[in-house]
Amino acid sequence: MKIMSDPDPSNRNAIETRAMSVYYGAFRAVKEVSFSIESQKITALIGPSGCGKSTVLRSFNRMNDLIPVARTEGEVIFHGQNLYGPDVDAVEVRRRIGMVFQKPNPFPKSIYENIAFGPRINGWKGTKAEMDDLVEQSLRGAALWDEVKDKLKESGLSLSGGQQQRLCIARALAVEPEVILMDEPCSALDPISTLKIEELMFELRRQYTIIIVTHNMQQAARASDYTAFFLMDEDRAGMLVEYGPTDQIFKDPKDERTEQYISGRFG
Amino acid sequence: MRAEPIQPFTRRLPYGEDFKRNIARRRFIGHIWRYMFFSSLIIGMIALVTLLGTIVNRAFGTIAVQERVNPATLSEQPLEELSQEELLAIAQANLSGNVRRRLDREEPLEQRSAAELLQVIEEFVLQREVVKSWTLSETLFNYSHIEAEAAEQFPNARLEFKSWVSWDFVVRPMSRTPALAGIRTALLGSTWMILITMLIAFPIGVGAAIYLEEYARDNLVNRIIQTNINNLAGVPSIIYGMLGLAIFVRNLEYLTSGRFMGEGMGAANGRTLISAAMTMALLILPLIIINAQEAIRAVPNSLRQASYGLGATKWQTIWNHVLPVALPGILTGTILGMSRAVGETAPLIVIGAATYIVTDPSGPFSSFTALPIQIYNWTSRPQDQFRDIAGAGIVVLLILLLSLNAAAILLRNRFQRSL
Repeated sequence: MKIMSDPDPSNRNAIETRAMSVYYGAFRAVKEVSFSIESQKITALIGPSGCGKSTVLRSFNRMNDLIPVARTEGEVIFHGQNLYGPDVDAVEVRRRIGMVFQKPNPFPKSIYENIAFGPRINGWKGTKAEMDDLVEQSLRGAALWDEVKDKLKESGLSLSGGQQQRLCIARALAVEPEVILMDEPCSALDPISTLKIEELMFELRRQYTIIIVTHNMQQAARASDYTAFFLMDEDRAGMLVEYGPTDQIFKDPKDERTEQYISGRFG
Repeated sequence: MRAEPIQPFTRRLPYGEDFKRNIARRRFIGHIWRYMFFSSLIIGMIALVTLLGTIVNRAFGTIAVQERVNPATLSEQPLEELSQEELLAIAQANLSGNVRRRLDREEPLEQRSAAELLQVIEEFVLQREVVKSWTLSETLFNYSHIEAEAAEQFPNARLEFKSWVSWDFVVRPMSRTPALAGIRTALLGSTWMILITMLIAFPIGVGAAIYLEEYARDNLVNRIIQTNINNLAGVPSIIYGMLGLAIFVRNLEYLTSGRFMGEGMGAANGRTLISAAMTMALLILPLIIINAQEAIRAVPNSLRQASYGLGATKWQTIWNHVLPVALPGILTGTILGMSRAVGETAPLIVIGAATYIVTDPSGPFSSFTALPIQIYNWTSRPQDQFRDIAGAGIVVLLILLLSLNAAAILLRNRFQRSL
């Protein structure tokens, strides 16, 4: 399949949407969003509750397919191909575009098994020793190895909330994705754990493209390279109001509504 | 958006003394409910204790044993101490020709063990029989009355304390003499039946639950199916018995009688273990499906999403994450179904479980009897002692039920711990 081809180095964009709309039944939740997300950068999606930013994020790895009434129109281009094209398998998409959820959701299995699950179901061909190696690398990649290296056999649920969320990131890394989607990954965490995740995001940026939905404006301001601001229109459909480098969005917004939102006058 | 201030002290809410009285009344109502709930519990406990008491009262007690022939006339030593050869000699010398021929047909006397020969001598030579039995409560509280009654009615009998529940009772086959009757045939029948029932009902039930919860779309057809499964759980068991009789016993007789395996194989008709087990499986399927569905529905969606997010397919998600987490709940439903199947009587009566059978079931295609049938049969016999062994049979049934449940609960707890 085409999307399994290597990324084109001349293309700076990891994902590009073209007039993408998402419907839940008859209700249009997202209206004709078109923007490009640059590779190996952190892009933050911000906006008030219900503006469709999570829906946009979930449409990047076809998680909306799991909702029976959801339907996507327009195009989401990844490696030059529309992810919603007829010959694209959602399972394949999700391997290349991983996801971290709002609430840490480790599997009720050992830490080791949490990491090993992804590679295994995706047809892992390596040996036990190579798997040990992959588990260690993934945990190191998520800055969790030193904290858990002596208790890999313990349940993933025995970790603290922040550690669980880093375990989920490590789990996503283990299937070698190119893009990592994060849906409010810090909303259930305390400030110190939040800071650790943000530091981790900066580390991961060297290798992965990160798209993060956040309610926390400070987080978007300090931890992202680009910011996309979403808002509901009159029909309660989410739309993209402004998109640009984070510095510009926060210091010199072009749109009046963006300025009002980031200065805390509504939302 | 503007919030209007609320005017306080409008006297629509109680204050001061008023409020204290109000609290006291609310507390009082709470107390009344509490005592009502407590008395429900007490009533339940009384019912349970009475039930167990009645059973135990019947299953233990005093018996008056009478022998036509005095054992001292057969041998100078007590019969229990004789060897197999000596017992064989006594049996051969004292049994009438008819009886000997009949016993030899079952198993030649020469090949029987000392214990078996002793039983034969007791039954046919001494003609030992229990002429009367008294319950446990009479034994404990009114023994002098028993002695007086026995001395008056059966001067030759001797009184013995008898536990009708005993190892002998468990391992002996059915007999027309209550004192010699055992429950082995029924126990084996019930065990076979429950094993086959579970083998059929568990995979089908869990499979249907997985399909309904994970694959089926929310459309009219599936909603009708769902409603009907819920309704089937409440259908009286005798109706399942009729269904089993019509389909498994009659229509599928060629299969359920085991005749398809060849001439002379299996039973004479379709009233076999496999028919009963399939009927029971139908009976408990709705129970298993509904409980398994509940368990699968209780698996948090975040777990499914996590799995899909890593590129798992639907089946990989179900097999690796949904089923392991749902398994304890699924097993709970299975335990309920199993207990129900062990205790059900009505469908077995309709299907035609044998009420008097001495041969052990040898496989799914043999005719059989089951514990509840045996107990039901004993309670309807005229002789009083059959009531005593019915009590003992109930004790065995309860023990079987409790041990099956305990095994299933242990299994469930192991799965729960491993999460």
